[in-house]
Amino acid sequence: MSKLAQKLKSGEFAVTGEIGPPKGVNIEGPLHEAKTLLKDRVVAVNVTDNQSAVMRIGSMAVCHLLKQNGIEPIFQMVTRDRNQIALQSDLLSAWVLGIENVLCLTGDHNNLGDHQESKGVYDLDSVQLVKAVTGLNEGHDLAGNELDGAPSFFHGAVVTPEYDPVELQIIKMKKKMDAGAKFFQTQAVYDVSTFEKFMNKIENFDVPVMAGIVVLKSAAMAKYMNANVAGVFVPEEMVQEMADTKKEDRKKKAVEIAARIIRDLKPMCQGVHLMPLGWDDTVPEIIKEAGLE
Amino acid sequence: MHATIQKPLDEIIDFFKKGEKVFVVGCSNCAAKCHSGGEEETKYMAERLEKRGIAVTGWAAPPNGGSLCKLSIAEKMLNEDYKESAKKADSFLILSCGQGIHTVIDATGGEPVHPGCDTIFGGETVREDFITEYCSLCGECIVEMTGGLCPLTLCPKGLMNGPCGGSKDGKCEVDSEQDCGWQLIYERLKSLGKVDLLYQYQAPKNYGRWSKPRSLVVGPKKSTFKSLAGLITIDQD
Repeated sequence: MSKLAQKLKSGEFAVTGEIGPPKGVNIEGPLHEAKTLLKDRVVAVNVTDNQSAVMRIGSMAVCHLLKQNGIEPIFQMVTRDRNQIALQSDLLSAWVLGIENVLCLTGDHNNLGDHQESKGVYDLDSVQLVKAVTGLNEGHDLAGNELDGAPSFFHGAVVTPEYDPVELQIIKMKKKMDAGAKFFQTQAVYDVSTFEKFMNKIENFDVPVMAGIVVLKSAAMAKYMNANVAGVFVPEEMVQEMADTKKEDRKKKAVEIAARIIRDLKPMCQGVHLMPLGWDDTVPEIIKEAGLE
Repeated sequence: MHATIQKPLDEIIDFFKKGEKVFVVGCSNCAAKCHSGGEEETKYMAERLEKRGIAVTGWAAPPNGGSLCKLSIAEKMLNEDYKESAKKADSFLILSCGQGIHTVIDATGGEPVHPGCDTIFGGETVREDFITEYCSLCGECIVEMTGGLCPLTLCPKGLMNGPCGGSKDGKCEVDSEQDCGWQLIYERLKSLGKVDLLYQYQAPKNYGRWSKPRSLVVGPKKSTFKSLAGLITIDQD
């Protein structure tokens, strides 16, 4: 059983990190950051899958490298780029490389990335992918064929607590749970009261939820996300707090805000997922300030 | 309705070899409604080609609103009504959907053809000047679960089990002017008192029914749909 699974099952508060593979083969930088900033501080590290529909090194290869370096990976898998055969095949490949955690997502549309003329596959959606992983764990593929050796993935999915109307997200979350999702990571949360309302709505869902924490770097970033990023809402006071901070103090402020959100969210959920978006060096301090060491 | 739009004239001109003689064929049904290949547009295309130095032997569109994609109509038009000028042509420029292009190949016994239009989608003619896509012709209709709205068509990702996390204020992540298809489905089911339908898991589509090329044998009481999903025969008795 993966460390992430053990931690969430034991009811201990879990912290995960994230790295985005680079565009090109220079993997040393991200790997170094993972080893120096994330290793032994977080229980597992998500590796994004061609995030933002921009072509990069694949998630599976980077997950494998993390594993070799003693870091437990969470293999993110989107349904945008592969059909049922490729998705299931890559899952089996990941398992034999020692990858135990999978996060199932749909993925940003091709049109948002750097290969806008490519064909979006979407043979499966995220709910169907969760079900496919569940099936592999049970020893059969989507076509019902028996496997010669089944994996035992700890697989999860995502939910957006600040989505409007939230009922649509909750219905889909329920479907992901019913399909076998064993944990959830959320889109970025800044408004603790909205998150609390969301958690109250799903209080009957018996599944661990890890709140997403995206490190807020500036007021401009907050405004951009409020205007353009779905399901992300940075409260006005927080935007102002960042705006009132001198440029050289922003990183410190970012740590302070993230740690404060985590402390407020902690009683409501089972873990947090840290997404530093390049400010990876803030992760150790956030963990420390949030009292998660 | 097969929605079509004419290719740019320069792209069409580039199709012709020096000295190539062409006969221009239109369609009086869908392409006429799209103003891409009705009688008027077909005649005008012939004139524009001539002005650009292309030898045009003639032009024709089916009479009485006829569809070019019906083989008997194309045959009568090209092998009887316009036989003389059609025979003189080295090739045919077709102002219709892709089905019409192949119908001309069949009607002429395999003469060279050039596409004059891009075929875009099958759509609803909302107004005389506005056609939009509500169906992807997938071969397995699932809108019973979605209040009559097709998620495979209205959602750019074709998601079957609800929206992705990418929509904002009811608009799609690919285009802030475009409604999120799942938001439309949700609102519609809410108005019908059927939101509960959204809780049902939808299995992956059988893409065998969306395979290419498919065919249909039709009869008054019995029809057979052929695809990689096999033969599906429906007895309407």
